[in-house]
Amino acid sequence: MNNTTRWDTLRPYVMILPAMLAILCFVIYPVFYLLKLSFYRYNLLNKAKSKFIGLDNYKQLFSKDEFYVALNNTLIYTVTVVLLTIVIALLLALLINRKKTRFNAFLQAGIFTPHIISIVSIALVWMLLMEPNFGILNYVLKTFGLPTSKWLQSSSTSMLSVILVSVWHNVGYYALILLAALQSVPPTIYEAAALDNASRFKTFYKITLPMISPQLFFVLIIMTIGSFKVFDTVRIMTGGGPNNSTSTLVYHIYEYRSNNLGYASATGIILMVIIAILTFVYFRVLANKVHYQ
Amino acid sequence: MKKKSVGMMVILSLLISMLAACASNNNTPENTAGGKETPSPSAVESKTPAAGKTTVNFWHSMSGNNGEYIDKMIKAYNASQDKVEVIGTFQGNYQETLTKLQQAVPAKTAPDISMLERAFVPLLAEAEVLADLNPLLASTGMSEDDFLPGLLGNVKFNGQLNALPFNRSTPLLHINKTMLDEKGLKIPTTWEELETVANALVIKENGEYKRYGYTMPYASWYPIAMIVQQKGAFFNEEGTGMGFDQEGVAAFEFLKKMQSTGALYYPPAQDSGNIVNGMFASGQVGMMMESTGVIGRHAGVVDFEYVTAYLPMKEQYGAPTGGANLVMFEDSKNKEAAWDFMNWVFNDPQGGQQFILDSGYVPFTKKMVESAEMKAQWEQVPARKVAFEQLAHAIDTNNHAAFAAVDQIFLKATEAIMYDNADIASTLNGFKKEAEALMKE
Repeated sequence: MNNTTRWDTLRPYVMILPAMLAILCFVIYPVFYLLKLSFYRYNLLNKAKSKFIGLDNYKQLFSKDEFYVALNNTLIYTVTVVLLTIVIALLLALLINRKKTRFNAFLQAGIFTPHIISIVSIALVWMLLMEPNFGILNYVLKTFGLPTSKWLQSSSTSMLSVILVSVWHNVGYYALILLAALQSVPPTIYEAAALDNASRFKTFYKITLPMISPQLFFVLIIMTIGSFKVFDTVRIMTGGGPNNSTSTLVYHIYEYRSNNLGYASATGIILMVIIAILTFVYFRVLANKVHYQ
Repeated sequence: MKKKSVGMMVILSLLISMLAACASNNNTPENTAGGKETPSPSAVESKTPAAGKTTVNFWHSMSGNNGEYIDKMIKAYNASQDKVEVIGTFQGNYQETLTKLQQAVPAKTAPDISMLERAFVPLLAEAEVLADLNPLLASTGMSEDDFLPGLLGNVKFNGQLNALPFNRSTPLLHINKTMLDEKGLKIPTTWEELETVANALVIKENGEYKRYGYTMPYASWYPIAMIVQQKGAFFNEEGTGMGFDQEGVAAFEFLKKMQSTGALYYPPAQDSGNIVNGMFASGQVGMMMESTGVIGRHAGVVDFEYVTAYLPMKEQYGAPTGGANLVMFEDSKNKEAAWDFMNWVFNDPQGGQQFILDSGYVPFTKKMVESAEMKAQWEQVPARKVAFEQLAHAIDTNNHAAFAAVDQIFLKATEAIMYDNADIASTLNGFKKEAEALMKE
């Protein structure tokens, strides 16, 4: 009898033990190790030559223009990509949701396609399209008599070019999530609104938006975190340049991975703190605006 | 009851698998950390050598044609004797090889010998993980004097000889002579002549440059060459800071002035080497400062008369060197066998010499330079001989463990100046302060 009760109290712990072990090994331990590394001038090759330097890495970090440039770039990238993607995805979802035509089915498949292609291939293809002298984009602009752009090769347009590719890559996937949300809104509510002669804008604002707010909230958080961690497009298309104009926080960490492991770790900790704060703020500010059915 | 036993079974099997995972988890680090007898992973993967043979692992960064040439060299060595079996493993480009070494050395799975980019040698030497090659050289009756002095710029640290040259290169002036002849221009030998010739080659139509005069890839190597040509140095001799001041400003001012008239095309950072070589081959640019490594890409391939020349001088001729060295690791268990291979590479005509003839890197021993085979090749491709002759003016001034880190911020300064017209003097001053902080560490 006694045995059974003890087993009953133990059972949940035993059940989650394997998962917890994995999390301990691959999440918790690395995070603390990262924290430890950030206090060292770490010599990768000869551990004995590593030196504890306290907060020096952080001091260096906060006195470095490059860090602020990277932070600023990351913020610009995140805000623009998240806003553009959500707005375009929502518009596309609304468009597709209106009628079940063959064109809409085609559109739905079309916008989702970029998502299943490797981002590496996408980045490489866009690099070719954006080539200033022989690229198709400039060719098209020229034929219409529009001013051409240097795209990735000028520090004033490079960030915009990277953002363009990211939005293009993401929009279909998020449109699909929002479309699913739209389709799960009960039609009875719309019928009631129609009976009350509600305007289209009001219907959208008072019914559609609140009804899909859980999915919007999800998309917002996932995209913000994802955008903060942007790396692959930057690595392939610009290498953080020209002149740091596309250097993001994660790329900044990557650049110092072998030269200055301690500094890179300190930057990693800061990135983690920023994302934690952002997520916390989102939950605090937006959670009560989200309408769960 | 039945349900419960099924549940128990599931839990039991989970526990067992977990234990197994833990056990192997615990074992691996111990094995590798203390594993004096554990062979390195690459050795395990490769075919086991014949009994009685010592295995020597050799990591390199050569792929494509050069990869085939190095495999050919290793095969020739393995066939030449029956005591040692060398296993060559391609480990990615220079930077990737360095990253792998940085992980393998502390894990005690480093190879016996590795190819190491010249500028990374100080980093490993400072960590004291490289073997001293002096006694090994002496053991086979060789000495430093057997190598070309221009290539021994940064191989000695703390009284030890930590690396020896292998696939080395140096920047040259690559010229489309046909284009110059059309305009009746002579090959430039000074900065002033370079500027005149480059400007004369420019073709501008409707506000767009159809042809540029001069170009170079995006790298610190080329501005460093220009600093050296003004008798400046990248690092000062004490290794406490930068060895240039006005020389840096003058170099970039020269480049900016040429850039403003289309005389210089400065390429985007990504894939810059391919871009400038493509432009040179297709006649979109007349001259190019580039490595000796690209001679094979143009000689006998392009449809114009292709020649090479010394880099134009300012106050003196000068060029840094590049490419990679061979290093041996202090932890190697088979130093003698590894040296037997290196010694063969340095001396046998089928060794390094054949590799140099095949690949087009510069010869690195005096014996190679004097060989009939090398002379015959120079006869055929004079462009290659220029590279060797320019080695007399080779000066390496970036000899410091912090080079990789300083190089990174030097390139950032280069980008600010070349792409965004940042003020040259203040940008370089900012760079210097940061660099000096890095070098103190």
